[in-house]
Amino acid sequence: MNILEVKDLDMSYKTIDGEVEAVKKVSFSVKEGESFGIVGESGCGKTSVAMSLLQLQADNGKITNGEIIFDGKNIVGLSESELREVRWSGISIVFQGAMNSWNPVVKIGEQIREAMREHYPDKTKDENTKRIIELFDIVGLDSSIIDRFPHELSGGMKQRAVIALALSCDPKLIIADEPTTALDVVIQDQILKEIRKVQDVLGLSLIYISHDIAVIAEMTDNMAVMYAGSIVEMGKTSKVFSNPKHAYTRMLLESTPSIVGPKKKLRSLDGEPPSLINTDSYCLFSYRCPTPDDNCKNRNIEMELTKIDTDHYADKCCVNCG
Amino acid sequence: MGKYVFKRIYQLIIVFFLFLVTSYVLFDSIPGNAFQNLLLNPELPPEAYEQVIKLYGLDKPLSERVILYIGNFFQGDFGYSYKHYPRTPIELIAERLPRTLMLFAMVNIVAFYTGFLIGKILAWRRGSKSETWITVTSVFSYTIFYPWFALMMLWFFGYKLDWLPIGKFLYPEKWYDAPYDSDVIFVSMIKFTAVVSVLQILVYIFTRNIESLNLRRNARFAGFIVLTIASLFYWNSGDLAIQKPYAMDIAYHMILPIFTVTVVAFAGTALLTRTTMMEVMKDDFILTARAKGLSQRRIRDRHAARNALLPVVTSFIFTIVTIIDGSVLTETIFSWPGMGQLILQAVLEEDIPVAMASFSFIGIFALIAHFIADISYAYLDPRIRIQSQG
Repeated sequence: MNILEVKDLDMSYKTIDGEVEAVKKVSFSVKEGESFGIVGESGCGKTSVAMSLLQLQADNGKITNGEIIFDGKNIVGLSESELREVRWSGISIVFQGAMNSWNPVVKIGEQIREAMREHYPDKTKDENTKRIIELFDIVGLDSSIIDRFPHELSGGMKQRAVIALALSCDPKLIIADEPTTALDVVIQDQILKEIRKVQDVLGLSLIYISHDIAVIAEMTDNMAVMYAGSIVEMGKTSKVFSNPKHAYTRMLLESTPSIVGPKKKLRSLDGEPPSLINTDSYCLFSYRCPTPDDNCKNRNIEMELTKIDTDHYADKCCVNCG
Repeated sequence: MGKYVFKRIYQLIIVFFLFLVTSYVLFDSIPGNAFQNLLLNPELPPEAYEQVIKLYGLDKPLSERVILYIGNFFQGDFGYSYKHYPRTPIELIAERLPRTLMLFAMVNIVAFYTGFLIGKILAWRRGSKSETWITVTSVFSYTIFYPWFALMMLWFFGYKLDWLPIGKFLYPEKWYDAPYDSDVIFVSMIKFTAVVSVLQILVYIFTRNIESLNLRRNARFAGFIVLTIASLFYWNSGDLAIQKPYAMDIAYHMILPIFTVTVVAFAGTALLTRTTMMEVMKDDFILTARAKGLSQRRIRDRHAARNALLPVVTSFIFTIVTIIDGSVLTETIFSWPGMGQLILQAVLEEDIPVAMASFSFIGIFALIAHFIADISYAYLDPRIRIQSQG
């Protein structure tokens, strides 16, 4: 049973220089209780996908095409008040910068309670407080944090509290948008464990967004690799890692050190993602493709996922390139 | 916190002492003195002038007079007014202050609240047509030449339409057989306003802990209704029933000055609020608030506006001093005989005791206002609270 199904999602930002197509024909689905990873360089449209799911993109961003079916209901084009019901109690999100996710002048507890009040208007303050203490217990925070202001907490504590906040309205799906990027490795590991524990305990679905392919390997069942606003490879995490089909995926993997196996020289990926203003539909990776064939060089092939194996898809163009 | 408060008070005392000395020296440096016009009278022998100067102690050297003044000041002795001889500066201030306090407290609160409200809405509606128009209007009223504008308002509402009175704070003909002095009425009006404000704030504080938003809103509304009914009863009971028509008369005279000053003064606050709030709205926690599914209004008021409040409160504190010195311009144009006019006359006539007393009073008030500002910052921004503990 799919909790979330995204079909042909297009999202673009209007800017002075033209329309930036940040998300192009993205389709994927997330099953109940599954964790789904999205990986890619900065500027590949990972966060734009996440924001489109909650329809929280900036004012100049607009979903131009596609469907987002959450829990059997298309949520594209819903009114603001209908969306407010989906937000947090349906899909909640752990943002990139936990440091800035908290309003500096309101106590942590009040900020969590505020969300609960919105979605469970009949609960009393005591019930809500009890629930927050339970959540804090799950993420490993002391109950005294409720009466603290955000600046009194360390980065790791803030991030834990953000996870508790994301859980507060019993969402069915949590989007974790690079939740550990700002933290050091030790705390990062703790937070990842916390997220996995929470997912197990509560049976949640999770979309995990990161530029760190190692974290994706550790955290997810299925994954998608994004490049220039499109998904270029998608499938079971184990399959994608053992048998990467797309040159971009391979290069991402080769740029990450492994602690097992023989020592290898790390390779870096030259160039940067192309500008997304008014692009055509040919393979955008052709600029950086290390082994392009003639079709790729001439930019004849449109970007489209093609099936390679059960639960494994990759972009047509790059499959041909080798 | 206690240590911080103590440190601030200690600083306040030093500043106040410096303020007293500087003001006295400044007044003394004005050429001439209050009794110089005695010399113009050819029938008065020059010795009489010398006598008067000696009587008031003006023949003593400056340093001696400053020390004497400050000594007397701290014993609560402000001397006598030179111009209104048997009356003391305290009597004069006690007469004028309630009039100014009532008018300018109202003016400031109304102007700031309007400004904050409009600024909030402007920032929230960024990019819309209404935003452009209100901003243009605000800039216009911010830059308008105030005395001209006030006169135009008087002309239009007072003369052309004849809706509102032109100047003064009462109709003298109504007060011929009034059982009360106007100051008594002013004092009861101020008392009433202060008590109602405090009660309103208490209602707000006590309902803060109600978890359901609907219930909270209803409780606050009920509190407001109860207060309104209670005030109606209050003004119809005992002594106050007799005072009521006179209070109404004063309130009627206050409408035009309040309205005029608000139109001019709200714009500064509105533009300031707009700028700070647009800055805050870029912050990530606004996105979090939206993701939480909060209502637009709650995000605007609780998250965006709340964080934009600090600079606005600062500018409010700086203008709060005008509550007691009044505005000389406003009081002159609307013939409102308050502190502003008293100070202006005292300075022009070199009535040093009255001028000094008024200025020290303003000084004390300004220092207290700034002290309250420091404390309220700590309330508004918990980050300051922590630093101030150290």
